[in-house]
Amino acid sequence: MDMSLLPPELCEAERGFPAALQACGDLDALMRLKGAFIGREGSHAARMMELLKAAPKEQKRELGAAINALKGQWEESIRIRQAELEDAKRKQGALAQAWDPELPPPAPAKGAMHPLNRLMDRMVEVFRPLGYHVEEGPEVETEAHNFDGLNIPADHPARGSADTFYLKEHAELLLRTHTSPVQVRVMQRLAPTLEEKGGIRFLAPGRVYRKDEIDPTHSPMFHQVEGLLVGKGIGMHHLKGTLNYAMKALFGPKAEVRFRPSYFPFTEPSCEVDVRCPLCGGDGCRVCKGSGWVELLGAGLVHPNVLRFSGIDPEVWSGFAFGIGVERTAMMVSQTPDLRLFFENDTRFLAAMGGLD
Amino acid sequence: MLIEIKALAQELPAVAGMQVNELCELSAALGFPVDGVSQEDGETIIEVDVTANRGDVLSHRGFARDLAARIGGKLAPLACPTLEEGAPLMPIHLRAGAACPIYSTAVLDLGEGPGTPEAARRFLASMGSNAKGFAPVDGSNELLFRYGHPTHAFDADRLKGCLIVRWAEEGETLVTLDGVERKLSPKDLLIADESGPVALAGVMGGDSTKVTPETKRVLLESAWFDARSVRATAHRHGLHSDASYRFGRGADPAMARTGRDLLARRLMDWGGAVLHGAWTAGEVPAAPAAIRLTEATLHRLTGSPISLGEAQPLLERLGFQVVRSADGLHAQPPTWRHDMEIEVDLAEEVLRMRGYDTIPMALPPLEGHPEPLSANYVQRKNLALRLAHLGFHQTVTLGFVSPELDAEFMSALGVDNPQGGRTLVNPLGVEYSVMRGSLLPSLRATAEYNLRQGAREVRLFEISPTYFSTPEGPQETLKLAIVWTGTLGGESYLSPARPVRSADLVGVARDLGLTVLPKVHELGEGVFGIEFPLGELGRPQERIIPAFQAFSRFPVMERDLSLLVAMDQSYAALREAMVQVLPQGTLQSLDCVDVFRHKNLPQGKQAWLMRFRFQHMERTLTGAEVDGWVASALKVAQGLGAELRG
Ligand SMILES: [Zn+2]
Repeated sequence: MDMSLLPPELCEAERGFPAALQACGDLDALMRLKGAFIGREGSHAARMMELLKAAPKEQKRELGAAINALKGQWEESIRIRQAELEDAKRKQGALAQAWDPELPPPAPAKGAMHPLNRLMDRMVEVFRPLGYHVEEGPEVETEAHNFDGLNIPADHPARGSADTFYLKEHAELLLRTHTSPVQVRVMQRLAPTLEEKGGIRFLAPGRVYRKDEIDPTHSPMFHQVEGLLVGKGIGMHHLKGTLNYAMKALFGPKAEVRFRPSYFPFTEPSCEVDVRCPLCGGDGCRVCKGSGWVELLGAGLVHPNVLRFSGIDPEVWSGFAFGIGVERTAMMVSQTPDLRLFFENDTRFLAAMGGLD
Repeated sequence: MLIEIKALAQELPAVAGMQVNELCELSAALGFPVDGVSQEDGETIIEVDVTANRGDVLSHRGFARDLAARIGGKLAPLACPTLEEGAPLMPIHLRAGAACPIYSTAVLDLGEGPGTPEAARRFLASMGSNAKGFAPVDGSNELLFRYGHPTHAFDADRLKGCLIVRWAEEGETLVTLDGVERKLSPKDLLIADESGPVALAGVMGGDSTKVTPETKRVLLESAWFDARSVRATAHRHGLHSDASYRFGRGADPAMARTGRDLLARRLMDWGGAVLHGAWTAGEVPAAPAAIRLTEATLHRLTGSPISLGEAQPLLERLGFQVVRSADGLHAQPPTWRHDMEIEVDLAEEVLRMRGYDTIPMALPPLEGHPEPLSANYVQRKNLALRLAHLGFHQTVTLGFVSPELDAEFMSALGVDNPQGGRTLVNPLGVEYSVMRGSLLPSLRATAEYNLRQGAREVRLFEISPTYFSTPEGPQETLKLAIVWTGTLGGESYLSPARPVRSADLVGVARDLGLTVLPKVHELGEGVFGIEFPLGELGRPQERIIPAFQAFSRFPVMERDLSLLVAMDQSYAALREAMVQVLPQGTLQSLDCVDVFRHKNLPQGKQAWLMRFRFQHMERTLTGAEVDGWVASALKVAQGLGAELRG
């Protein structure tokens, strides 16, 4: 073709084209080159079309042929280079996919909730459909809430410094020995509006303290889940029905409950509740010591003195309360041999026992 | 309490035909679970767990009495002829009122009898008590286990003048049988003679009047002492005896004479003793008033009708004197029951006799509206779950730490939190004596433990209260602490290994929604921790779905700017200055996405790659305006000493 017909800058572009084409290492670069040479606007080809339009009539034919030839040549070269690059990209993709999928992938980190917290949360879930919510109280308690309000006599051994931790600078303060003081706090708070509210029902999960040396079955700190229901005409049948439901919900439909008389200062009548051993189903095993039953909780109807202390008239209101030992339940269902494992926090134990739900 | 089945059957013959399992079930159904069954010398012994309110059950006969009531069986008659009482051989003065209303005694000359019989020796062995071969001691022990009434024998020749039951006087002392000198308090009930104290009433006898192999004549004591006073004295002197255990849980005042008779009979039968005289000071106190029980109460407690006609014989079998009238049953408790005060106490007895298994089951009706779960509880639960999903393990550690560890952390955290107000009087040990001001010491110890166990990376968190001293007592604040240490990655071909850095924790804190980021503490080499009150996390949304906010559908324009800055350049200051000159609302983000430090860079400089993202709510941005904004941001940065990296 006769380049003399084109202005110098286009000649320059034409000369540089093969090198520029070769320099395009990827499709992005090639697309930019394509835009610059044969794009619809602002490209060298577009500029040549403008020249053609402006050319004198007698040159048009010849110039037109030359431009078309050049443009065609560019288009062809770019098409070939594009095919090459696309082929290379495909090959590279194939290479990337050639990793053996069995090679260990990056594993997302895996944590766990503590098994005791999981169990307490589960208990809350179990009681939710019955209308129980969660109440909490302080771990540093007053003697009034921890003992007096629960009908525990002044000379009861549990009040002694051999059983209960007391604070040095505050003689009236102690570390709560059970979650029952939450009963007292909530009843005192709600007593004035009880008629309007219609009743009380809640769970109080939490940490409690007793002066026990650390060994495979004792810890100076452990967990309880307290439950309280106050209403009108509440009796033992309601307590039985509630715990029967709850134990089935926790341990499965075969979980039977058995109530035995017992004694607690804050309930009357009082009972211990056994559950048909979830491990052997009642046939007898090491966990239930062959009896087929495991003792899981203490319960009873709220003692009139306890209601009275909190400002609730026992002639009008009655209720039941229960306290579940969280560690005892956790050890029983998991057959964990040593209580200390729950407080040692070995991540191998936590990962295996805790889980994520 | 240990129960020998053979001895039990002597009190309640119906037991003889029972399987041990059956007996255990029956006992549990009465409220006395059996903790163990063993064999001793061919005899079956069960260990019965008796609740603290039932002192009357703490013997073979007492246990048999409850069993008999339940099964409707009959107790064997007490095999002991009553001693004829005569004039006192020594005056006995009861000067402690209701604390000791009755004191029965007898004086006997000890003889040269055959000694403790084999059957009694074996029974004592079953009870875990060795026979001394000495009738006054063995006889007293044997009848304690069998009948539950504590008795004592004095060497009558060493008693001077008279016996007085009175409260101790300040400054009095007594050397008890165990050879320890006790300083007495006016709250101690004691037995004295003319020379002074000779026994701590219901707790332990005195050394100077004890029966020895040389003793010729004994004076027996079978009295009744107030449970509260005995418990207090036993507690005060740290002196817990079989006698104080039973008196402390309530003995039967009507057993005072019988106990004396039983012991005297043993001395005569086993030791050939000769009775000189028996007499009693005081009287069995009047029985407590009757308690009323109505059908309505029984119905309310069980949800099913129980007639008074059914309840009455059940109470009578337990020894209650019951009168039925138009307004219910009036039941007077027997002398051995000290746990009967109010109507529900009686009702419980009726239910216990019928069996708790006869109570039906029902769910209580829902009264009022259920309350939602508290925001605190939900927040805590969600937080724990979130952290667990981020790879952290939730820990549960003790609430108390050592004073040194606590002080170390309080000072490192710069918190003035005096320990005195958080210290226990009676800790398990000094290392467990301070209610912790921070969760971090416990988490550090747990992290270090796990590293020692070979963990490559440890991520822990705990949500627990911490304590802050105030004049009113320790104030509890629920905190979240997170500790992270070890090596990240390096265990797959796509994730290179690197040590955990403090920035990792900052990322987590930001992820949890903290607006003001807490300081990251380096708790040890490469061990990082943060801690903050849960309150700082802000409340979860009240609305189920928040109010609608319009968002832009126009393209995002992104620009990178590489800046050379001084090594000590503050990132926050530089970024903030740049943000100030950029169009608010249109600037979506400005972040440093890479830090480059290399020896090829000018001395003391590093390179930050800043990434800008712009997006307009109503139109597509043009390249020219975005470039203009970036240029103005660059200019600000240059004003702070940054340079454009070529
Ligand atoms: Zn089992």
